[in-house]
Amino acid sequence: MNNKPFRHIIRQGLTGLIHICAHELKQVFKDQGVLIFFLLVPLAYPLIYAFIYTNEVVRNVPAAVVDMSNSSQSREFLRLVDASADVKIQSHCADMEEAKTLLKESKVYGIIYIPADFSKNLATGKQATISLYCDMSGMLYYKSLLLASTNASLTVNEKIQIERAGNTTERQDEITTAPIEYEDISLFNPQDGFASFLIPAVLILIIQQTLLLGIGMSAGTAREKNRFRDLIPLSRHYQGTLRVVMGKSSAYLLIYLIVAVYILCLVPHFFSLVQIARPWTLIAFVFPYLLSCIFFAMTCSVFIHHREACLMIYVFTSVPLLFISGISWPGAAIPEFWKIFSYLFPSTFGINGFVRINSMGATLNEVLPEYHALWLQTGVYFITTCLVYRYQVTLSRRHALERLHIFRLRMLAAKKQRKQTT
Amino acid sequence: MSSETWKCLWNIARRETYRIATKPMYLFCIIIAPIFSFVFFSTLMSKGLPTDMPAGVVDLDNTATTRNIIRNLDAFQHIDIVTRYSSVTEAREAMQRGEIYSFYYIPKGTTEEALASRQPKVSFYINYSYLIAGSLLYKDERTMSELASAAIGQATLLAKGATEEQAMAFLQPVVIETHALNNPWLNYSVYLCNTLFPGILMLLIFLTTIYTLGTELKENTAKEWMQMANNSIVTALSGKLFPQTIVFFVIAVFYNIYLYGYLHYPCNSGIFPMLMAGLLLVVSSQAFGIFLFGLFGNFRLALSAASLWGVISFSISGFTYPVMAMHPLLQGACVLFPLRHYFLIYVNQALNGYPIIYAWQSIVALLLFTLLPFFVLKKLRTAMLHFVYLP
Repeated sequence: MNNKPFRHIIRQGLTGLIHICAHELKQVFKDQGVLIFFLLVPLAYPLIYAFIYTNEVVRNVPAAVVDMSNSSQSREFLRLVDASADVKIQSHCADMEEAKTLLKESKVYGIIYIPADFSKNLATGKQATISLYCDMSGMLYYKSLLLASTNASLTVNEKIQIERAGNTTERQDEITTAPIEYEDISLFNPQDGFASFLIPAVLILIIQQTLLLGIGMSAGTAREKNRFRDLIPLSRHYQGTLRVVMGKSSAYLLIYLIVAVYILCLVPHFFSLVQIARPWTLIAFVFPYLLSCIFFAMTCSVFIHHREACLMIYVFTSVPLLFISGISWPGAAIPEFWKIFSYLFPSTFGINGFVRINSMGATLNEVLPEYHALWLQTGVYFITTCLVYRYQVTLSRRHALERLHIFRLRMLAAKKQRKQTT
Repeated sequence: MSSETWKCLWNIARRETYRIATKPMYLFCIIIAPIFSFVFFSTLMSKGLPTDMPAGVVDLDNTATTRNIIRNLDAFQHIDIVTRYSSVTEAREAMQRGEIYSFYYIPKGTTEEALASRQPKVSFYINYSYLIAGSLLYKDERTMSELASAAIGQATLLAKGATEEQAMAFLQPVVIETHALNNPWLNYSVYLCNTLFPGILMLLIFLTTIYTLGTELKENTAKEWMQMANNSIVTALSGKLFPQTIVFFVIAVFYNIYLYGYLHYPCNSGIFPMLMAGLLLVVSSQAFGIFLFGLFGNFRLALSAASLWGVISFSISGFTYPVMAMHPLLQGACVLFPLRHYFLIYVNQALNGYPIIYAWQSIVALLLFTLLPFFVLKKLRTAMLHFVYLP
């Protein structure tokens, strides 16, 4: 065996590799279940998600008003609140009880209460308070209500200040009301939208999860079809671990190169999300991400013993993985333990890097830690895949030998019997 | 019901309990996965409201006044000034590296212009690719900017001889007092965990229910199972799923006790209604699982559909992104997701402690979900008696 020339081994390996790759591709396209994960889910899921969040922001949160003051100032304040994009004044209530009933019926999500002494306080030069009660079933309601009423109060304040200051010029008015001006600038997500914030992370996660599911399912199927419930069939082409791993992974890579183009380039384009990635940076980053996901999924696939098991095990992990990535829950607030735990998954680095490249226009230089981590994961998971596949190859060989041994014993026994009878 | 039926039920339940106890997959889906998720989410968000998020400063003025502003900014709850940058470009690059979520920019000559009443302008840049962090930082930086302006105004007024009270009344004639009802700490964990936990449980119940039915077909034990029930699909299903109902209900009780007893999240209705809501969630999810299996008749397709339904639930139930902001089509579709109704019951009961009558629609909806299996009973019976497993 060892005397074979090196070139021969290489050539044999390559033929095996191509055979395995082609065989795996054929298997994927023949198996409807795997095809759902590799094509249908990546095609449809991003569209569903983007459709859910397509409005980006909450507009016109309904609010109730209890205006006990009923003065021109209070009405002006309410007009300003109503005029804002965030809040819509749904009903004017006579008292708090009425407003509370509306809150209970979920007809409104907040109450603005203006006390009876509001205009009196303003007239006498005292501070006047307006109370805002927010339903906390959604943080976005609270945010909208708070923002609209704060903005309205600032406008009202400005007017009052100008009246009281008794300045002569308009410029003086401006300076009295705001000695220092300020401006807030939303970077990278100009409309502060929900879709632009969550969708990029979801897109990257979909790649990892569908790979886990698809590779898991095809591994489960391979085991179920195999006579000894082994992952690797016993055939001439499946002799070397390296060629099995490389062959299978290149098949998945071929499919996912196309899927990735659709998910990462076309979907954000369809829904006009922020997309300021430099093409080469994106390609350079996504390549190791795909590889690390494929090897990660192949390593994990040894735990899948049945076709359907992959769904049972992997599906629920999507939600924790999205939270741990540091997008929906700020990375700075993630406890150390979970942060280290998150380094196990390619999605953590993939999401962080992709968001920065795609939404924030980062170059490879800025995502270097993530980029290196992905290559490191690719390496580590490649080795683990080889190890578990090596184990599987020897396992299937052993099973075959055992079978052969039993077969031989049976033959011997049969021969003996025949001899005895004759 | 005849005693024979009871005996059938008992036998099937015993057989099922044995199956649950011997298959590792059940252990994973019923115990390990839910408990892991509960512990995961509650410890991940144990801070409640993220504090001290990294932000930067570009102070080109660098005077005592601007340094004071920055010190005050640093003292805010959500902000932690980690670095000073010498230019906006540098700060922007740090933002792209993910080191800071926001930076505060004070241009050269700010103090001088403010003193000379020439109205300088400061700005703050916020990265809304991280929405929660961005929103929290925005709030603090905006307050700080208002305060900086007010501090100068106050100094002028005090110099003119106004009292502090008069000065405040002049600077801020109208004050907004915000009352965040029943979650005054703005605790994100309260806001998310209360729906994430049942959401995960629901997803796993969908999957487990379909898995139990599917394995009967797959392992060719369906006929034996049906014979134990005298070929009555109702007996067969109830006997089989009852042990799971109990185990899942125990998990639901566990998370309720964990949330309201151990973590002390607001539970203004008392725990009993929430336990009932948990029971309703378990039963309606099981029913929905049966329905999906009956509808598709194919193990794998039913599981895929359940996964889709379960995962979409998290988005469409509207606890993060409100349903009212979605497309009208989705506003209608959200009633098809049990988690949406559970969320509304939770808001009505545990969070706000309103009378249960205000949530009657959600309760009726969940009860309707439990009726779904009746539509597919006949099909299920045929499937169990005559179908063979299709991969």
